Amino acid sequence: MSPQQPSITGIGTVSPFGPLRGLIGQRKTEPRTVTAWPTEGVRRAFLVEPFRPTDVVPGLKTRRLDRLSVWCLVATALAIADARLDLNVENRSRIAVVLGTGFGCIELTEAFLQSAAANGYAQADPIVFPETLTNAPAAHVARVFGIRGPNITLSQKGLSGEGALMQAASLLRSGQADLAIVLAGDTLTRTMYEWFEAAGVLSSDAYAQASAPAPSSPQRGGFVPGESATAVVMESADRAWSRGATVHATFRAGFMASDPKAGVSVTRKALAGSSPADVRMVVAGANGSAALDDLEGPAIREVFGGQTPVIAPKTFLGESDSCGILRLILALSWAENNARPLAMLVGTSLAGGCAALSFELP
Amino acid sequence: MARSSNSVAITGIGVISPFGRGLNALSSGLLACRSCLKPLTIFDAGWNPPPVVAEIPELPDVGDRPGFRLSRTDHLAVIAALDAADGSRDCSDFLESGAVIATTVAGLSEITPAIVSNPAQYYRAGGFAGAASYPSSHPADTVGAWLGLRGPCWGVSVACASGAMAIALAADRVLAGDAPMMLAGGSDALAAFTLSGFNSLRALDPDPCRPFDKNRNGLNLGEGAAVFVLETLEHARARKAEVLAVLRGWAMTNDAFHPTAPDEQGRGLSESMASAMAMAGVAPDVVGYVNSHGTGTPLNDVAEVKAYETAFRGRSSPMPVSSTKSFFGHCLGAAGALEAAVTIVSMRSAALFPTLQLTDPIESPAIDWLMAQPRRQPLPVGMTVSAGFGGSNTSLIFELEGNLDRV
Repeated sequence: MSPQQPSITGIGTVSPFGPLRGLIGQRKTEPRTVTAWPTEGVRRAFLVEPFRPTDVVPGLKTRRLDRLSVWCLVATALAIADARLDLNVENRSRIAVVLGTGFGCIELTEAFLQSAAANGYAQADPIVFPETLTNAPAAHVARVFGIRGPNITLSQKGLSGEGALMQAASLLRSGQADLAIVLAGDTLTRTMYEWFEAAGVLSSDAYAQASAPAPSSPQRGGFVPGESATAVVMESADRAWSRGATVHATFRAGFMASDPKAGVSVTRKALAGSSPADVRMVVAGANGSAALDDLEGPAIREVFGGQTPVIAPKTFLGESDSCGILRLILALSWAENNARPLAMLVGTSLAGGCAALSFELP
Repeated sequence: MARSSNSVAITGIGVISPFGRGLNALSSGLLACRSCLKPLTIFDAGWNPPPVVAEIPELPDVGDRPGFRLSRTDHLAVIAALDAADGSRDCSDFLESGAVIATTVAGLSEITPAIVSNPAQYYRAGGFAGAASYPSSHPADTVGAWLGLRGPCWGVSVACASGAMAIALAADRVLAGDAPMMLAGGSDALAAFTLSGFNSLRALDPDPCRPFDKNRNGLNLGEGAAVFVLETLEHARARKAEVLAVLRGWAMTNDAFHPTAPDEQGRGLSESMASAMAMAGVAPDVVGYVNSHGTGTPLNDVAEVKAYETAFRGRSSPMPVSSTKSFFGHCLGAAGALEAAVTIVSMRSAALFPTLQLTDPIESPAIDWLMAQPRRQPLPVGMTVSAGFGGSNTSLIFELEGNLDRV
């Protein structure tokens, strides 16, 4: 493992598995019935069960914040704890925050529109407006944790998590930061869910009876929506080792293309000179949609020849634009130890392109 | 000087602003001291008298692509990107390039409040395609589709520092070798949503704004887009491209202070300026002008003045500063990119543009306020700074090619 390379040294997640510090373990999840808005019949998704943030992070103030901001704050606190990071001894001007999100603070954007619908644009709610900004979650993380370095919010459709990881690694490698809090998250709302329905992209599992849930699995004609927020601490491995923290994985290389058919090319580039036989597992972006899976599956087979285990975490997380980091965390949680040193995170987004990121495993 | 690894060439600039399409329209409007701030006409904001804005009355047609319906923000981005890429598209590796396009509004201009009461019905009634342009990645995807780019395309949204940050992030990618060229900039349209939001915060000046004036009363919103072509100097020279300017230094910081208010001492902003000068390897005396963030809001302008006093402490003469938002309003996610274009126009035309409506400026011994008329003077090295809600700050330092090696 290269001690100077950007490494994941702390993990915090708010996901259908609940709020968790560190690796997720051998847990399972399944879609839950939507109750947050009126539906015609059963509608299901991989939802985050409501929780009280102060039960996880005592003293955390989250009133009037978008759920995405709340989850990012909780996930960050968990990741910092997992990394055994004492911010009081860190130079916080050298810490970056990078958030990847597809839809940002959509919940309070809807609330602001609701206030405009009720009162007119001239009398909309001033409290809500600043919290509609896409960068609000990353800004709150900076404010609450006193982090003064680069604060970046990016959006790359279904590759938003992968994009955040690559951006953070770039900041570390170029010397613009010593450490990064890398966040990725999206919440699910009614406008999104019904847009997916109108687009006809949902799996039959999204409509199954709650009393007889079918397991969500690839090749079911569409996806089940999901929601989550993930935070990881990224820094050089030697920095983490010096305070006794665990290195979960070390970033080696990442490539992206705006053409979703470029999976073979970006994956080979991300191998960065290693052999496909060195890869312990491929973390696929497959979500059950035939169009996406038919692009990604053959690309993985062409590069790895069917000899490398492939895991499709969206089976347990559902689809959201920013779940790339959470997919990696789930795969790391479930990875079997063997001599192969690498993991390959693959992402494919029909509208956003494709990505491949390689990681060295401990 | 051993700074070539931090040098990024600007080889294309596309601008659509309230002055019209193109860098020449921007330049001539600024030189003529023509204000674009007028009452809104392109849609009904929902109150009277209508807010004072800087709008673009007509957008030129840019054709279409399968699967895309252009939001106004997308449309602006595509116009600027097409113009920026005009001198680069013949380059053999142009299609391997990527795009980083900043926005805060994105497709919100296409969405009405009716979406929230019954989304399914709203989509059936024709709102489906407009809602698809909501994500802040959409303008970048659109630019990628219109230019046929195969490299990475993504959106940046950090409130009013977005446009400048997109340029900084693209520069990183170019230097890392992730793409031969990157198109970078920002685009935002006027939208009822954002006008309503700033109105609710009582941040809008009912008259043309007066940044840095003691009697300032808020901001005016504007719209537009600016997109740059970035590549390494080596790549630009190899293909004999005209280098319009060189991006020498950049830095991003956060105030970590308040969701909307800036740090009262301007600490985050001054740190970003200091870090950008350190990256560029220039002392405060070398920078000849700062195109400020200068919104005209009471809190921003005071904090910004303090930031300049800190960042340029020890300078031998006061720093020339102006806010060109007094010409074309605050274009939000496009602001930082448009103001980077203004800074380069200043450098290439040897003219420093004033802050319009500034008659009684905040007193500061560190600042040489540019007022009333353009000042003709050479500008080898210029800086533009941006700040935004959430405490984001970005500073960019440009130079005319080769100048820094002579100073």
